[in-house]
Amino acid sequence: MTKRTGSIGDTLTLLSLRGWAFIVFAFIFAPIVSMAAFSFNADRFPSLPWAGFSLTWYEQVFADPMIRRGLVNSLLVALAVAPLSTAIGFLAAYVDHRFQFVGKRLYMALASLPPTVPVVIMGVAMLTFQGRIGLSGTLFGIIAAHVVISAPFAMVLIRMRLAELGPDIEAAAWNLGAGPWATLREVVIPFCAPAILASIFITAAVSFDEFMIAWFISGQNETLPVRVLALLQGQVSPRINAIGTLVFTTSMLLVILAQALAFRSKAGRR
Amino acid sequence: MSVTILELDGLSKSFDKQSAVSDVSISVQKGEFIALMGPSGCGKTTTLRMIAGLDAPTEGQIRIWGRDVSQDAPWRRDTPLVWQSYALFPFMSVRRNVEFGLKQRGMIAKDRTVKADEWLERMGIAAFAERMPHQLSGGQRQRVALARALATEPELLLLDEPLSALDPHLKVSMQTELVRLHRELGITFVCVTHSHSEAFAMADRVVIMDKGTVQQIGAPQQIHRRADNRFVAEFLGASNILDVKVLYADASGVAADSAIGRLSTQAPALKPVQVGEALSLVVAMDRVEIARSLSGAVNQVPGRIAMMEVMGASITAIVETEGGVTLRSQLSSRDIESNPLAVGDTVVASWDPASAYFVAH
Amino acid sequence: MMSQKHASYRADKRRFAVLIGAPSLIWQLVFFLLPLLFLVMMTFWSVRNFRLQPDFTLANWTMILNAGFFRSAYLYTFSISMITAAIAAVAAFPVAYLISFRLSPAAQRMLMGLLVIPFFTSLPVRIYSMQIFFSPSGLINSALIGVGLSPITVLNTPVGALVGYLTLTMPLVILLQIFALNGVDRQLVEAAHNLRCGKFRTVISIIIPSARVGLVISFAMAFVFAFGDYISPQFLGGSNPPTLSILMADQVKSGNHWPRASVVAMTMIFTLMAMMGLLLKFAYGRSGR
Repeated sequence: MTKRTGSIGDTLTLLSLRGWAFIVFAFIFAPIVSMAAFSFNADRFPSLPWAGFSLTWYEQVFADPMIRRGLVNSLLVALAVAPLSTAIGFLAAYVDHRFQFVGKRLYMALASLPPTVPVVIMGVAMLTFQGRIGLSGTLFGIIAAHVVISAPFAMVLIRMRLAELGPDIEAAAWNLGAGPWATLREVVIPFCAPAILASIFITAAVSFDEFMIAWFISGQNETLPVRVLALLQGQVSPRINAIGTLVFTTSMLLVILAQALAFRSKAGRR
Repeated sequence: MSVTILELDGLSKSFDKQSAVSDVSISVQKGEFIALMGPSGCGKTTTLRMIAGLDAPTEGQIRIWGRDVSQDAPWRRDTPLVWQSYALFPFMSVRRNVEFGLKQRGMIAKDRTVKADEWLERMGIAAFAERMPHQLSGGQRQRVALARALATEPELLLLDEPLSALDPHLKVSMQTELVRLHRELGITFVCVTHSHSEAFAMADRVVIMDKGTVQQIGAPQQIHRRADNRFVAEFLGASNILDVKVLYADASGVAADSAIGRLSTQAPALKPVQVGEALSLVVAMDRVEIARSLSGAVNQVPGRIAMMEVMGASITAIVETEGGVTLRSQLSSRDIESNPLAVGDTVVASWDPASAYFVAH
Repeated sequence: MMSQKHASYRADKRRFAVLIGAPSLIWQLVFFLLPLLFLVMMTFWSVRNFRLQPDFTLANWTMILNAGFFRSAYLYTFSISMITAAIAAVAAFPVAYLISFRLSPAAQRMLMGLLVIPFFTSLPVRIYSMQIFFSPSGLINSALIGVGLSPITVLNTPVGALVGYLTLTMPLVILLQIFALNGVDRQLVEAAHNLRCGKFRTVISIIIPSARVGLVISFAMAFVFAFGDYISPQFLGGSNPPTLSILMADQVKSGNHWPRASVVAMTMIFTLMAMMGLLLKFAYGRSGR
């Protein structure tokens, strides 16, 4: 057992580890790459060789009134969900940061658990409940459900930022004459601004991408992912790739913006 | 003519049934510089936080100008605090930090800026007005914290360990600066510190605390001359403390037995002592003299020099006595020049009976 | 006068806390907890003439729990979710180990960033892409025929569903395993190497036991995601055989029998809670030894 054979063995191990990792990453990213690639393919049937570059499918997507309505609905929902769920998530994070009370564990469980319930169950639960109170099929119904599942993401993001707020900062504000509301407005919210902006983008992305709950409750007011699901049940269509690429680009833009904000705040603290 | 600005009256505070402060009563005069001093966990910071309203007392009252404020919200009191951590608002410029208190008092933006700039000028940090706190050094942050607390022109300023986060060389200059500021402003400072050199150098009166209770209140010289109890004598660390047993006591003085023989003191005890009582005898280190031989006076203890500790201009001779007790004598370098001493020398330590006093065990 | 003042400060503080705490509580109570409780209640309702009737009957429970189609769907969903979790955990581990232990921090950050991307890419669209790869005349089969092998049938079989489940769970499992491995004390690993413990033995006897909790959680999350997924078994498995999620969706979308769907939902929730409980007990329980 010399060092030399050990290092050769190690090189081989490292090589096979890298090989396996490449296969796994290929498996994960092949569908994403092929989605983007075939959305620009002129051929209706996705097969190699590549039939040439074309924007036909994008044109068709934008010409389809149902897809357009879906897109508008998705945008409207995300536009409402982002600020609402961020506000609710912020307040829940602040409660966790600031108050001690009996039943806090239950309160925090309620504020953080929704994303762990399978969406298919959430969908059925929302449908039966919202049907009873006349919300099902309305955009507000979708917004209400999406806020339920996205607020916890906002809560976690903002809670992490609040953990960096020193224990004396708020007390210093009170000490200088700022009441709790003024402290919230002038100290806590500005301090959390990067996390708040990041969570606006992340919650928008979560809502924009959500298909299962919306599929159950949207009724006539289909969102874009619900339309995709409907297209999926039909025949092969590169339009799905085009929509997927559009949604992907939008979501990634939002996530990158959120990341950049979080990074800038980290750099700023030094 | 003194006027009481702040009164703590029977103040107690417990956290989860753990007592942090119990029955603290202090009366602070207008314009005074008071230091709250003691080891960590003695309740000094909790007392300060109660004055600011950041902790609510379990019992007792806090009166400012005779009015009970102990149930007032912190933002309704005018008791700005200089935090140990500085607690500057990290996302605001230096100027906006200083303006914060003024803004809460409804001052318009233009006046705020003028006022803030005055204070920045006064604290010598006008050049940093646009900087963010993280771009400043520790000493600069400290000045911003002071300017921010003083901008609203309070009558009472609270300081929590204001020097502890500074580099050693900055500590002394900031100490001088605080004293100067206190004299110029003529307002009341209440300062928490664990360092007696800081407290004694800056304060008009020092409050020594331990385990949540006040051990002694007095002017630095007074405390230094006479500690009220063994804790204070030990905490100040400048005295020899000997376990003794009273042999007899009358109007002329007290004689007591100890491991190093019979000791006497002329100082009339404040409280009469009982024959047979076990007490501690306190002898300040700088009152212990070293001679070469016995002279027949009282309180003479023969011994051998075990060590010489040099601390700047003063030298402490550590004398091991025959009774196995160690005595410390603080000498000036001039003393040493006239009477050279070396480790191993056989000497006699002695002190004037009038300079020693008894405290309870 | 004085006591009024006390009261007003305390009341102010309480009002502030209540106003801050209320929005999240109210929203999640009304739009999350109430629907779930309503779902529980719904399991006891009945359907007459295609209309829901408030009732208290165990008929839905007995009907579903005794139905052969439910039992086989339950068994199938449970086993394929377990298989998914096992394959995902085993396949992900070398990748997580490579990223956590063998790559530079910069490469680690970049790969972890890449692994976040799938979370923001529409799952239905990714599944659709997989359909294209695995369709009878798709890219995979073209390639197989191209090199002289016989084509394979994946679509509309349990293997197809498995492909979908892995598409869904792999990024999550790798990320969770990286977090678990990053928590392993590096000094412990160094010490093992110094004691001439081979790299492979170090992985088996030091790294895996140290990261056990995180590794079990990654397995549990894979199970949870696969167990609840509708898209993979529907569009890649061809609902052949159906899973519980498909059963639920069918009962609601075409059967219009919400109480029965609610019963299925309850069995899923119970199963997930029991699995999480068991797995966490396994993860934490053995560390006491």
